[in-house]
This record gives sequence, structure tokens and C-alpha cells, in this order.
Amino acid sequence: MPTQLTIPRLEMAMTEGVLAEWLVADGAQVNEGDPIYTIETGKAVQEIQAPASGRLMQRAQAGETYPVGTDIGEIA
Amino acid sequence: MSASRVGTGGAATNLGIEPAVLVEIYRQMSRIRAVDKRIQAGLSAGQFLFSYWPMTGQESIPATLSQLINKRDYMVTTYRGIHDQVAKGVSLEGLFCEALGRIDGVNKGKGGSPHISDPSSGSMLTTAIVGGGAPIANGLALAAQLRAEDRITIVNFGDGATSIGAVHEAMNLAGVWKLPMIFLCQNNQIGEYTKIPGYTAAKDFASRAAGYGFKGVRLDANDVPAFYQAMKTVVEAIRRGEGPIFVEAVTQRLGPHAGVGDSHELSAEELKAAKEAWPVPTVRTLLLEAAVCTEQQLAEIDEAARAEVEQAITKALAGKATPKEEMLLDVYADPSVPPRRGHYPRRESEAVPTGPTKTMLMLEAVRDGQDLALAQDKGVFLLGEDIGDPPGGLFATSKGLQNKYGPARVRPTPIAETAIIGAGIGASLVGMRPVAEIMFNDFAGVCLDQIFNHAAKQRYMSGAATHVPMTIRMMVGGGIGGFGAQHSQSLEAWLLHTPGLKVTFPSTPFDAKGLLLSCIFDDDPCVQLESIKLLRGVRGEVPLADYRIPLGVAKVRREGSDISAITYGWQVPECLAAAEELQKEGISLEVIDLRTLVPLDYHRVLESVKKTRRALVVHAATEFCGFGGELASTISEELFSTLKAPVARLGADYAPIAYCREIETNQIPQAKSIAARVREVLAFKE
Repeated sequence: MPTQLTIPRLEMAMTEGVLAEWLVADGAQVNEGDPIYTIETGKAVQEIQAPASGRLMQRAQAGETYPVGTDIGEIA
Repeated sequence: MSASRVGTGGAATNLGIEPAVLVEIYRQMSRIRAVDKRIQAGLSAGQFLFSYWPMTGQESIPATLSQLINKRDYMVTTYRGIHDQVAKGVSLEGLFCEALGRIDGVNKGKGGSPHISDPSSGSMLTTAIVGGGAPIANGLALAAQLRAEDRITIVNFGDGATSIGAVHEAMNLAGVWKLPMIFLCQNNQIGEYTKIPGYTAAKDFASRAAGYGFKGVRLDANDVPAFYQAMKTVVEAIRRGEGPIFVEAVTQRLGPHAGVGDSHELSAEELKAAKEAWPVPTVRTLLLEAAVCTEQQLAEIDEAARAEVEQAITKALAGKATPKEEMLLDVYADPSVPPRRGHYPRRESEAVPTGPTKTMLMLEAVRDGQDLALAQDKGVFLLGEDIGDPPGGLFATSKGLQNKYGPARVRPTPIAETAIIGAGIGASLVGMRPVAEIMFNDFAGVCLDQIFNHAAKQRYMSGAATHVPMTIRMMVGGGIGGFGAQHSQSLEAWLLHTPGLKVTFPSTPFDAKGLLLSCIFDDDPCVQLESIKLLRGVRGEVPLADYRIPLGVAKVRREGSDISAITYGWQVPECLAAAEELQKEGISLEVIDLRTLVPLDYHRVLESVKKTRRALVVHAATEFCGFGGELASTISEELFSTLKAPVARLGADYAPIAYCREIETNQIPQAKSIAARVREVLAFKE
């Protein structure tokens, strides 16, 4: 079953975040725990780790601001 | 410990702990770590969304304790308490379903991760109010003490909670009553976003216990073998009945207050040092170096934990979200109690008791009701300020009861309302039926959190896994003059605005006893408001037997045809006096005594107004934003087309209650002003 990637709520007050950079190419193989993208919030820039192993499919452009919960890709 | 019991490797003899115990502690830490890691991964990936307060770094505390207590022992913890839940034995499936708002959650998804209650594992209550759990833990410990059970109570809280009054009130009461409990301060060095010494000048927290007359110890929770040995001594002393002990378990929180990742409060150097001292990896290394476990054995422990978590989360993700049909369930035991527009159930009135009666003051009727309750149920006990003999309560409502039932069941308390209510909540969580006296309604302000956030909400937040069958009696000033602004208020609107409480407000000795007995044996938290003016000033015939007035049944005190006065408490006699005066002018006033404010008898109210076609709501409380607004609004919505005049209200003027008599008698409704307001309503012309 593919694992959906959505913009997380990293802090209680967070409503949106900037998908700063994809650290892995679209379609590349990733292992659980690998850093896959960075997100900027009001507070910090944070690396997000892959929640599962598989092939990463990107569905959102880096450099844009997205509301929490936005679907940005999947690992299948 | 003898070398022969170790069985593996010579180095293990120097561990300072039985190797098998250390393995079990590691197994619990590994489970906690797997839960924490998986939640953070899921939140980071956006796989699920919920508020999370990471406890990374604090795993060793409950993991160690888990080897010294069992599921019979009670535990209370906080929103940063998932590690405590895991080690106490709450099922991971129930826990994850709860965190994700699923109906199969341990609390039906209604409490969520910050409000876990799982009596089957002894995890009794989890609060999101800093320090709010300590007074409730007192009550759990008290119940065990009263029942002479071999159980200890552990209340977990963070270092930040040592600043708040509830913890201090609880510590003082625990000291006085020698309660079998551990105040377990998980000192993670940061109170939410503020590090020590930003919020305290104290050098440590353990020494505070001495101020309350019991022992406090400061332990390094990162040195697991030594922490275990010290905690063993603590637990044994409490089991021997030596009273409470305060444990300051020093560790370091590695994560932020809320959310995921590393702490924002620690510098890079501090974080690095903290991670090096973190017991999850250090105990693992210790087990390897002492040759207690092989790498493969430890990997198996970690893998089992990971698999257990994965199975639970898979089940939770596929689980059914708690549906909206659950909304009004578990507010009370009876789903017909929550007020709902258009739903006005008719509840049967009480059977008139037969048998001998006696003329009693209302205060004697209250005393008689408590006497009967104490006599028939060992789970009933009274607590409150000065309720022992003498004086038997400031208003003598418990006079003679301590002499009759002893100091264990009629318990005078420190002047500490938060501790009083908390002790009642805790004892009622495990099935006792405490009756707490709050000397004045005005003091609700100093125990509001316990009443509103804990007693009222616990059934709902726990998805009915627990409930709070306690009664709170509050005396209400007003109408007697000279009590001043802080001892004369009628604050029932505060209580009514909080779902989960039932509220009675009797106007006669007969009702005071019959309603109180219903409250005491009700399975939800009840507040009975007792007017001081009536307690000391009204006599009536009261049956000596036990009788119950069903909650939610109003009574017509005087029949009339021109207008209905809807009232309660000490305004009932004022309305009856107004009716006498108006009768002379040919005006017929019907007087409805609500008796119970929640559940509310809208059925009888609407029946009366359908007949008279005019209504006036009268209460001693401030008119603006008072309960009268709710009643008037519903009557208007339901009966608009039949009304001859707008529904009117009469309450106290918008000022604190004055000390001087002339202002007080003029600012609160009384017979004359009620009669005048009735005339105004009757004079209304379309």
C-alpha cells in the first residue's frame, strides 16, 4: 500500500509550511528514515524522513507554501 | 544479588541491579521508544495529525517503575504521558486508536492522547491541565487507604507543575492524611518552553516535601540501576503505610514542548550531552558490555517492539472514526439529560413518602440526608472544611456525624478547595460516593479547574470508561445582609454552562433532603446549592425515611392563571410572597420551583406557560447573562404565538453584592420588586 506524504503539523500553531527542497529525485528509491525533503515553518527548517521504503513520487513543487495536510507525494 | 543468579558473564555482577530486571526495563524503554519514533514519523510524513507532546528522554522513569508496581496500583499522568501509559500496560492498539480519534480507542476517541483513562491497567486519568492530576491522585490513594487495599498511587507531573497551586494543595493534604502515594516529578528541566531557572529560584524540588511534613528524594533517572534501587525503597516504604514520598526524577527532555524533532530550547552542545546520557542507548550498551544480552537478543527486543507498534498503528489507521452520533452520549449516564432544543422529556414526579415525619430546619434535613447515606453505603464519606465535631460544619449541616461515623468517614480538610474537590473526584473514580462541602458558592473560583475540567468532563473524556459519582454541596449567601461581595453570590450559571454537571437548588427542607440523597446516589457529578437564608430560616415536615426526589422534576408551588413565575432556591419564598401581595389586586401568579437546574424540567415549565401565556423568570443571580436568559429564550421560541407578552427576567442588578443592607436588598429580587415586575408584564399591550 502506498504511503501518502502530506504537509505535517510540526508545532501546535502551524497552519502551513514551505516545502523548501526535495532532497531525493522524483522516482528515486528511498529507505525508511532517509531525509526526503525539507520544510520551513515560522520557527525552523526541518528535514523530513521517509516514513516507509519504496519509490518516491513527487506531486508538489518545491519553493511553494502549502497548508498543513496538503498531499505532496507518496512512497510506493 | 548473587553471581549464580546472573547466569551470563562476570561483568553483570557489577550492574547494581538484577540483570533480568534491567532487561525488562530495557524492553519497556524499547517499546516506549518505538511508539515515540512511530508517532513522530507519522506526524512528520503527514500520515496522521494530532497534537503530540514528546517525552523523548524520559523513558527510563516509567520503564523502571513498571518493575515495581502492578496493574492494581493507580496511576495519574499528564498529556506528556504516553511513556507512562505504555509502561503501565495500556494496550497500544487502544492507545493509537484513541490518538487517531477512533471509536475503538481506549476512550472511544473522545478523550484523545492527552486524556487516556484505562482502569483495566490502573491508568486512571490523564490531564492536560498542568498540576491538575495531583489532587485527584490524592482521592485514589484515599480510596485505597479507606478500603485497606494494597495499592499505591503514582501521580506523574513535570517540573513545570511544581509551580502551580494544585500540586501544593495536594501535597499538603497527602501529608496530613498520610496517603499511600508517590508524587513523581519527572524533572525534564524545561517547563513547556521555559528552562530552569527561568521559572523558579529553587535549587531542587524534592526539598519542597519537607515543607509539607513528608520525605522527598532527588534521583538521577538516567542512572537506571541506581534509580531502580532507590525507587524500590520508595515503593516498599509506601506499601508499608509510611505515607507519601515526593520523588524528583531528574532527566532531560530531548524534544520540543509540542510537535516533533529535537528540543528548540537546548543548545547544540546541551543536546549532544543530553543524548549521550540518554538511558535508551546507554542501557542497551550496558546490557551488551555486561554480556547480559547479545546484540541479537537486543535486536529481537527492538524488533518485537517495532512490530507491536506497527500492528497497533495499522489497526488504528484502518479503524472507524468516532461518528457524530456519539456526540451527546457519555456526557451523563442518561443520554436524555443534556438539554436539546425541541426535546423536553417528562420525568415522573416523586412518590410521596409515608411514615413518620419531623419538623426540621433545612440544615437539619441536609444533615439527616447525609446521615442516611453514610448509614447505608460504606462508600459514602464527607469531606470539607470544619465539618468534624465540633463544630459539625460552619452551618451545622454535619453536626454529630463525625461522632457517629468516625474521623475516617467525616473528614475535616485543610482550607484548600482544590484539594477537597480533587480528593472527591479521585475516590469517586473508583466507585466511592464522596460528598464534598464547599463553604460558600463564591469559593467555586478557587476549585473551578477541578470541577469544570475534571469532574464534569471525565465521563465524556474517558468514553465512559470511568465516571465521577461525587456530590458537591455549596452554600449560597444572599438575602441575609452583611456577607459582602465575596460571600453572597449565586453562581449557578457558571456550573450550568459546563456540560457534565448536574445542579440542584432546593427551596424546602423536604426537597433539600430528597434531592441530596438523589445526588449522592447518582452516577454523575452533582452540585447541590443550598441557600444559607433557607438553611437557617425555613422549617418544614421531613419524612425520617430515605426518599429520593428524581432530578429534573419541577414543582408547582402555587397555581395561578395570569402569569408563571419560574424560579428556584431562596427566590421561591420571595415569589410566593409576591403572589400573596398580587392576589389582593386580583392578579393570579403561578409559581414554578425548578428544584433541579440540570437536568432541566422544560416540560413542566412550558406546560405552565401554555396555560398562563405569560412568564417571568426570577433568580438571585445577576440578571445579565444569567440562567434566566436561557429560560426566557426557550419559552419564547417554543410558545411565541401563544404569549400575551414578552417573557421577562428579573435577577440581581449588575454590580457586586454590596455589604450594606440597603443596597443588597434593592439589588437582589425580593417580593416587592417581583410583584412590580409582574405588574409591568401584565401592563404590556401589543
